Amino acid sequence: MPKVHDRVLLILFCFGFAGVLLGGFLNFAPNRLAKGVAYSFFQMPGFEMSAVLAGLLAAGFLSFASREKLRACATILAASLILWGGLKGAGDFAALLIQDGPPAARASLGATFWILAGVAILAIIDAVQKGNFGVPARLCIGAFFCAGFFLMGALGNLDHLSLAREFSSKRDVFMTELLRHLGLVCAATFLALIIGVPLTLIVLRKTAVVGFVFAGLGILQTIPSIALFGVLIAPMSRLSESLPMLRELGINGTGPAPAILALTLYSLLPLVRSFYTGLSEVASEVKEAATAIGFGARRMFIEIELPLALPALISGLRVLTIQAIGLASVAALIGAGGLGTFIFQGIGQYALDLVLLGAIPVILLALATNLIFAVLLGLARRHS
Amino acid sequence: MIELRDVSKNFGGVPAVSHFSLKIESGAFFVLAGPSGCGKSTVLRMINAMIAPDAGIVEIDGQDIRATEPEILRRGIGYVIQTPGLFPHWTAADNILAVPRLLHWSASKCAARLDELVALLHIDSTLLGRYPRQLSGGQQQRIGVARALAADPGVILMDEPFASLDPVSRLALQDELRGIHARSGKTIVFVTHDMDEALRLATGMAIMEHGRLIQSGTPAAILRDPADEFVRDFLGGEALQLRLLDLVPVRKLTKHGRTRETLTIRADASLKKALNLMLAHQRSALCVADERGTRLGEIRLSDIVARRDAI
Repeated sequence: MPKVHDRVLLILFCFGFAGVLLGGFLNFAPNRLAKGVAYSFFQMPGFEMSAVLAGLLAAGFLSFASREKLRACATILAASLILWGGLKGAGDFAALLIQDGPPAARASLGATFWILAGVAILAIIDAVQKGNFGVPARLCIGAFFCAGFFLMGALGNLDHLSLAREFSSKRDVFMTELLRHLGLVCAATFLALIIGVPLTLIVLRKTAVVGFVFAGLGILQTIPSIALFGVLIAPMSRLSESLPMLRELGINGTGPAPAILALTLYSLLPLVRSFYTGLSEVASEVKEAATAIGFGARRMFIEIELPLALPALISGLRVLTIQAIGLASVAALIGAGGLGTFIFQGIGQYALDLVLLGAIPVILLALATNLIFAVLLGLARRHS
Repeated sequence: MIELRDVSKNFGGVPAVSHFSLKIESGAFFVLAGPSGCGKSTVLRMINAMIAPDAGIVEIDGQDIRATEPEILRRGIGYVIQTPGLFPHWTAADNILAVPRLLHWSASKCAARLDELVALLHIDSTLLGRYPRQLSGGQQQRIGVARALAADPGVILMDEPFASLDPVSRLALQDELRGIHARSGKTIVFVTHDMDEALRLATGMAIMEHGRLIQSGTPAAILRDPADEFVRDFLGGEALQLRLLDLVPVRKLTKHGRTRETLTIRADASLKKALNLMLAHQRSALCVADERGTRLGEIRLSDIVARRDAI
């Protein structure tokens, strides 16, 4: 019995294989509302099917390979076979089906596709971590997959999938909502920094208020997001009624203002906690040595404390931005816009593809943010 | 000269140092010794204003240290602590040059000084680009000492700098430091609870207990005449006489003239070494020679036993 060297990969292979055997690969319906017919994986075009199967089997075999770096590289290739083969196969398959179907026919991606895509993406992430690739290599791998996706989109391979149709019919709105989503996250992060950094400095100086501040922020954090968005509507609208200046700035009970406020409040706890921990954990003998050889307080903060706390600060920012990206989807409920708009519209219209049009970019945004912060963290950790 | 006049300090109502007065001559290698918690580190930290005394005055070269901004004062005083306290995000070279850069030295002056320090402390120059965590404890402390010496301060304060090192690195650094002190004529104030270390290094020392100065003087004077039981115990109790032998060179008790002894010891070796040699070879006398091997005379066991009268 050969030795298993990569259990994660083996488990992913099993999931992928189970996904191929069970579930539908493509769902074909005469229109948006009608219940469709599920086509299995084995009914898709043969060339792409063999590519996916080859990638999957390769992943299975690779879990027995002993050389870490080589396995990581090969896994990435195998996973790209699964991912690109699956996408191309689904696109071509949809084109075939739609050719003969009614004009309103829709082909949407089924469970098998999503399982395979998930398996491929997880395998890539795991391989990148295990292969211990440097920052440039990671960025190249990321860029390679993004480029492939956009290339397929541009060549029209995916045009017949309902998700792509949903996207192309909403292209302008999509960009607006995406930017709006990013705007909400950036504004909240910016505000959280403006409030949180001075708050952290106060907490560091006056240790008596530590418990009080963290208890307060902790309570804020436990309020469910929908509730907080809702709770802010009344005071914000009262405020904008009594202050015409605010009204002129477009600050209302609903819309982006209360959403940004709520996101800011949620961001404060992870921010202050990580900044506080990071700065207070700088070794006391290092600070003592710095004082003893003539560093003043400001210089010490800038040259010693801040750089040494940097990894903790970046981790804190990572948590709060990813959290804000997720929470901002809920903001659509109070009219703040963002990618959540598609999710809630989709739920209302029972259009699953519309939900995905909102949900997938939110997930991708979170993953991309995570990658960016991981890279920054790697840079910051090199010397501390 | 460093002078502390009637200095006291309480921490939360508990006296750490009380009515402490001391003069440390320029160029001294002065050791502050005493058991843990006796206030020796507090005294040390009052010299560079890390701790402000509740009462009393600290003067360096006749000037009250409060007349100078603490940061400016500290840049002119070297400081080494037990765990090296190197900046983990700076290379060894950057750590060494911390104070010169605070003082805005030019790049060429910094580079020249770095070369001097590397030669002075026998630092392997391949270590200079490394970060502290890539260095051994002994190497880190060598960098720590270099950092304290970097801006050529007249006074260097050291708070148990070698306490966490292995015996080999500790001895090597002690020798290094003694050599540097002898050549540079800097004033070193050194805190330790290790009596062997204190006696090996000190030209002058003070013994403290419960925040008070119990006795000060040269190591030999204190060993010869401990002020009380506490000092006697602290110096090593039973073995006190043996420690004293360590401080006296063979030269002092040599009877000049011809000798029939064949086993030779150098005149600058300690009496303890001579006694050890006698015990090892079951002799009651040794031949004494100078560093060139010229026979000077002999040393007898009976003279060592009766040394009180001779020293």
